[in-house]
Amino acid sequence: MSCGNPAVEGTDAVMQRKPKYDKSRICVKCKENLGKIVVRHAVYCKDCFFPFMSFKFRRSLEPFVNAKPDGPRKTALKPTGDILVGFSGGLGSSVLLDLIHRSYVSPNLVQTNPEGGRDHPRKDRVWKNVNICYVEVSDAFTQMKDNTEDIRHSIERYKGLEFTPLRAQDAFDPSWWAKTDREFDLSHMGVDLTSEDLLLSSISQGSSPKDSLRKYLSSLPTDTARSTALQTITRLLIYHTAHRLGCSHIVLGTCLTSLAVSLISSISQGGGFHVKEEIQEEWAPHSTQEVKSTRSHTNDIRIIRPLRDVGMKECAAWAWWNRVTVVGRESWEWTGSKPGIGKLTKDFIFGLEKDYPSTVSTIVRTCGKLAPKGEVSGQCLLCSRPIQQGVQEWKTRISIRSHNTDDSTPSDSVATALTPYLCYTCHTTLTSRSPRTAQDNPTNVPLPMWATSTHTTSFTSDALGVNKDDDIEVFVGKRTTEEQMHNIVKGFLLDE
Amino acid sequence: MSLTIKIEFGGGLELLFSNQKSHKIEVPSKIPARERSESERAVDLQYLIFWLRDNLLKERVELFIENGTVRPGILVLVNDTDWELEGEGEYQLKDGDEIVFISTLHGG
Repeated sequence: MSCGNPAVEGTDAVMQRKPKYDKSRICVKCKENLGKIVVRHAVYCKDCFFPFMSFKFRRSLEPFVNAKPDGPRKTALKPTGDILVGFSGGLGSSVLLDLIHRSYVSPNLVQTNPEGGRDHPRKDRVWKNVNICYVEVSDAFTQMKDNTEDIRHSIERYKGLEFTPLRAQDAFDPSWWAKTDREFDLSHMGVDLTSEDLLLSSISQGSSPKDSLRKYLSSLPTDTARSTALQTITRLLIYHTAHRLGCSHIVLGTCLTSLAVSLISSISQGGGFHVKEEIQEEWAPHSTQEVKSTRSHTNDIRIIRPLRDVGMKECAAWAWWNRVTVVGRESWEWTGSKPGIGKLTKDFIFGLEKDYPSTVSTIVRTCGKLAPKGEVSGQCLLCSRPIQQGVQEWKTRISIRSHNTDDSTPSDSVATALTPYLCYTCHTTLTSRSPRTAQDNPTNVPLPMWATSTHTTSFTSDALGVNKDDDIEVFVGKRTTEEQMHNIVKGFLLDE
Repeated sequence: MSLTIKIEFGGGLELLFSNQKSHKIEVPSKIPARERSESERAVDLQYLIFWLRDNLLKERVELFIENGTVRPGILVLVNDTDWELEGEGEYQLKDGDEIVFISTLHGG
């Protein structure tokens, strides 16, 4: 039996659905045409939607093209190097590539700009070379289609671009690392994931890069960790490739909706210190030491997300109306796994955007105002993001990290422990608790080349931010036993 | 009496519909009454979504429908216009309409 009032139940009791747009169906810009799309409660016609998208794209990119970033400028755009588009085949990066091509590559630019002569400097291409980098991740999974050829085919319509396909396992391939023009070291290091200190040891070179990638991912404790690690590998492969190609800028197709997902997901995984980097960052391809000594590097690479003000819906409309081919990305599903934090966050944000379209924008804007507390003590060896000073000591204080009462301290193993050189997120990714079965043996787990190479060549001095010739002063948190404490204060104790 | 509707899928949604991007379908112009108290009513977009599920969808219904409507992240265009301007599921279909479903779930 219903508790409601039968007199008002039925069709009359249904609340009138509120329209998803304000005011009328007329375009809010031109106030003439009938609207075609609703963008966060505002109605736009097609004629106004396209310039509106282009404007938002340029507004998020152009103030950061010149080495000295400032507000919107009318002076010429003069980047110090080329540009690399991180391309996944997904909706955002497909739209981004289309916008980059229309705005900076298309040969029609000369005809459409009436100002100046044919050879006027204003009509020079902003970036001499536009590179596209795609990282194929199918080898990380057992049944995923290799999309490299589909991607190559989809970008053929854009002329004048350089395509660089990579594979996720390149991160474990010494021959790829040798090409990145970095200090090359052939010694291979593996990490023991069973200890919180993440002890390093030499491992044999027997396994192929693909096997190493799979071992690395399968050794991680949770599905969330696997997805995060693969994302980090993809991101760093793109960064190192951009450095090799002489790029000063990397653009990624993260739109407003995806940015909200990655921000919330990152914060949920302990990445609160990296909120700013998640939105925009300057990556120093060199060591922590150099980064600390001078903040303004001419060869730093600026990573920009020019679609950060454009929602997923606007991207979809742009792609549809401009016939942009979207190859699509398969979701990262690990065999027999439950959805990780990333997948759950994505579902939540997409649902939120449908019901409350403005809230997603609020998430990004609020995160943009956050300023992480604490000093930076270096650059994480795995993800290249800043390490918060004293984060390991803090973690030791607030968490139970071992079931046994063994008081082994990290002091014995400081020379071979990876933990002090990882950010909080990466350390949690490698060590978070899980229902890992007993037969798993996550020891001698291979690491990406950038982590081990830095470690073996200039590990101690670089990561600690001191000169190699200087004496190294290392501070280590050490837990004191009850007996040791008693010995320290025993001179002051009164006899019972 | 039936209506001819053109259906298009984009953004990877076609993978759920035999990997075919464009379909021409015929749906009844009136939704038959399920109970005696109900009367026949004109066919709407909500009906079409369930019709597609029952007649065209080949796999993974959860990627197309959620809570009685299309899943969040799927953009619907009615004759090239955002369906939010047309009343979403309550839009009454007309003969020759073109309905487009675009998935935005394939991220950046």
